[in-house]
Amino acid sequence: MSTYIIRRLLGIIPLLFGITVVSFFIIRLAPGKPVAVEQSLNPRVSPELRLRLEKQFGLDKPLHVQYLIWMKQIVRLDFGRSYIDSRPVMEKIAERIPLTLGLNLAALVLIFLIAVPLGVRSAIKADSAFDHSVTFLSFLFFAAPTFWLALLFMQFFSIQLGWFPISGLTSLDFEYFSAWGKAGDSIRHLFLPVFVAAIGGFAGLTRYMRSNMIEALRQPYIATARAKGLPESAVLYSHALRNALLPVVTILGLSIPGLLGGSVIFESIFALPGIGRLFYEAVMTRDYPLIMAEVVITAVLTMLGNLIADISYACVDPRISYKER
Amino acid sequence: MKRNPYLKIGLTIIGLLMLITLFAPWLRSADPAQIDAAQLLMPPSSAHPFGTDQLGRDLLTRIIYGARISLSIGFIAMGIAVAVGILLGSLAGFYGRLVDTLIMRCADVMLCFPTFFLILAVVAFLEPSIFNIMAIIGLTSWMGPARLIRGEILSLKEREFIQAERALGASDARIILRHLVPNALGPVLVNATLGISAAILLETGLSFLGLGVQPPVPSWGNILIEAKSTLGVAWWIMIFPGLAILVTILGFNFIAEGLKKIIG
Amino acid sequence: MSEQPLLEITDLRVTFDLEGRRLTAVDGAQFSVARNETAVLAGESGSGKTITALAISRLLPPNAAISSGSIRFNGHDILRMSQEELTGMRGKEIAYIFQEPVSFLNPVFTIGDQIAETIVLHQRVAPQQARRQAAQLLEQVRIPDPQRVLASYPHQLSGGMNQRAFIAMSLACQPRLLVADEPTTSLDVTIEREILDLLMELKKSLGFSLLFITHNLAIARKISDRVIIMFQGKVVDQGATDTVFRCPRHHHTRELIQAYEKIGKL
Repeated sequence: MSTYIIRRLLGIIPLLFGITVVSFFIIRLAPGKPVAVEQSLNPRVSPELRLRLEKQFGLDKPLHVQYLIWMKQIVRLDFGRSYIDSRPVMEKIAERIPLTLGLNLAALVLIFLIAVPLGVRSAIKADSAFDHSVTFLSFLFFAAPTFWLALLFMQFFSIQLGWFPISGLTSLDFEYFSAWGKAGDSIRHLFLPVFVAAIGGFAGLTRYMRSNMIEALRQPYIATARAKGLPESAVLYSHALRNALLPVVTILGLSIPGLLGGSVIFESIFALPGIGRLFYEAVMTRDYPLIMAEVVITAVLTMLGNLIADISYACVDPRISYKER
Repeated sequence: MKRNPYLKIGLTIIGLLMLITLFAPWLRSADPAQIDAAQLLMPPSSAHPFGTDQLGRDLLTRIIYGARISLSIGFIAMGIAVAVGILLGSLAGFYGRLVDTLIMRCADVMLCFPTFFLILAVVAFLEPSIFNIMAIIGLTSWMGPARLIRGEILSLKEREFIQAERALGASDARIILRHLVPNALGPVLVNATLGISAAILLETGLSFLGLGVQPPVPSWGNILIEAKSTLGVAWWIMIFPGLAILVTILGFNFIAEGLKKIIG
Repeated sequence: MSEQPLLEITDLRVTFDLEGRRLTAVDGAQFSVARNETAVLAGESGSGKTITALAISRLLPPNAAISSGSIRFNGHDILRMSQEELTGMRGKEIAYIFQEPVSFLNPVFTIGDQIAETIVLHQRVAPQQARRQAAQLLEQVRIPDPQRVLASYPHQLSGGMNQRAFIAMSLACQPRLLVADEPTTSLDVTIEREILDLLMELKKSLGFSLLFITHNLAIARKISDRVIIMFQGKVVDQGATDTVFRCPRHHHTRELIQAYEKIGKL
């Protein structure tokens, strides 16, 4: 088991290498020197900053040397400074990660809470009216773009019903609230984004859960469970469900790239200060250091997510721990 | 075999859609860029069944023309992805070992990047032209088809009919193209169909952020930009493009579902 | 003996619903099993023997139905039982063992959990007590290291070990009838021998009726008191083993016997 983990960890190294190479290649796509382009876009760049950037990128040196210089920096988590406000890029990212991760985690939890019961029940009552309606809803919500759902919900819940604020993280007079007031205000602001994210995302997991459960119910050991005289509830929710839920453990880790990618539009619509919105702003202002950093960091997060998914699966499935994968 | 409601409904939807986009100029003689200052933000009426936007342009026309853009981007992007995927996947599956490891490692690395981030980063450095969008989406979606082809080829490679072909002196390329790939196409087709939906959603998202299809060329995504600013005022600008996207994606997903049933 | 048979199957008919078509898997099966008797239900694949066996506890899949006939067990009419009575009887009065134990055991629960589960269910004892009983049962089926096996998962054990554990699980609550559906078919010949010996031994010491299903006539002859031959859903021959083998009444029985004699197995 530990050998499995060690092997997986070792397998990450070439991936990390690949990620940095691809990211490096992307920035080289920029027409002309990044510094020159940036200068023409942002007149606020001072000569000192420009010199520093030229040195940082080492643009006069051969390509592989540039790469090595860059690698040396990012290994120390030094992604340079933002073109816009000269703050260290890593700082700007780090302060926004908690919001994005928290939001997506909350959405994932909600998705689980919706999808697992729906999927399980659909499987148990396969081909019933319930099953068909759930399948229909799944297709529907799977096909609707999440940002459009966001607009719809904003229109309905914020404007027409006035239940939730349209956007932002805090109200204008947030400062004046008590501690409870602040908590409540944040929740009111975050409720809609989390809810919309969950509505947009439950469909996949529901169908997955359903097919897992159907597959589990088809197994011979279910006949054994019944032959032993176990009540149907134990057969379904203990014997079958345990098996059906096993692969779902990996969903948490595997959802990371999808959630991060979606957060770009999502946070922009809801005006939430997360790393998705930060990336969007960076792209709009051609803030190259920030763009590069986010590309690398989100790729690394995805890779970690996959690793966690694999390892958690190996932990819960007794068959994996002992077999050499 | 047509006891396959998903396939039937899906093909009907997409078929109708394609007819509409093909015959767009004849169906609706209005010009999608035609500005009518007297008809700003009008709700749906007989003259403008889907209403008008902030510049007085007819929404129905814009949506029909937007369909052209979205569908072509979807098809071409996926076409690129499938072509690259089949190429790389067959090389990996057929030649194995070093070639396989190399190609699959590349796929693993590519899969680490959240697609949207990658595409946005590239768009930040290049111009967001329609061609670029197709190419980028295509070049970041080849991994799925590649994996599938590789898997099928790995399992088919050792079968008797392939050994027979080799014995008859068939070249590698011939074996791959005429025998291995056609057998593996089933799952790739399903994947490609779902890929078209994904590509359309990607393009829509990009356009919505202003980094995809640039106005005044209409795309469902960039029409929705207006929906945000007219929230609460002009419901038709939000509803109709969104429904168009929904129905299109649904159509392709139904086709994919129906194909899955056929393949078994 | 005028003793009432333990199991009495009369004119049993089981149909399957396959996408609109109706298939008759068992067509008027009729036989009985006495107390402490070993009866073998023999026949080729598709003859309906497994379906008949499953029907006894009403364990048929949802698309199957018992369209007519009766099943009486220990004086009770099984087809009239409520769901509660049925689950109370399963595992306690009638137990099963199956062909491939590793598939029929839940891969995510330990052997110990699965055996203890039955004990807790029917005997209402505390889990620790159940585990102790489970260990004893494993000793009874001659498993050398009971504690290790209790903590093991099915995929970690060999076919023979799994089958022994399965037998232990099925006999945990001392059922009156053990239905064994081809329990040794997928095992190596030496292991097969051990398992058969084990079953006979346990039957003698615990005292239960054994309904053994197989397509292997050699086994049938060796272990059974009476034999029931099924062919295409019907019972075509039955009676005391020696009688049936010496004077088969149905042509199919004759064919089967001849086939086995030809390959020198009988």
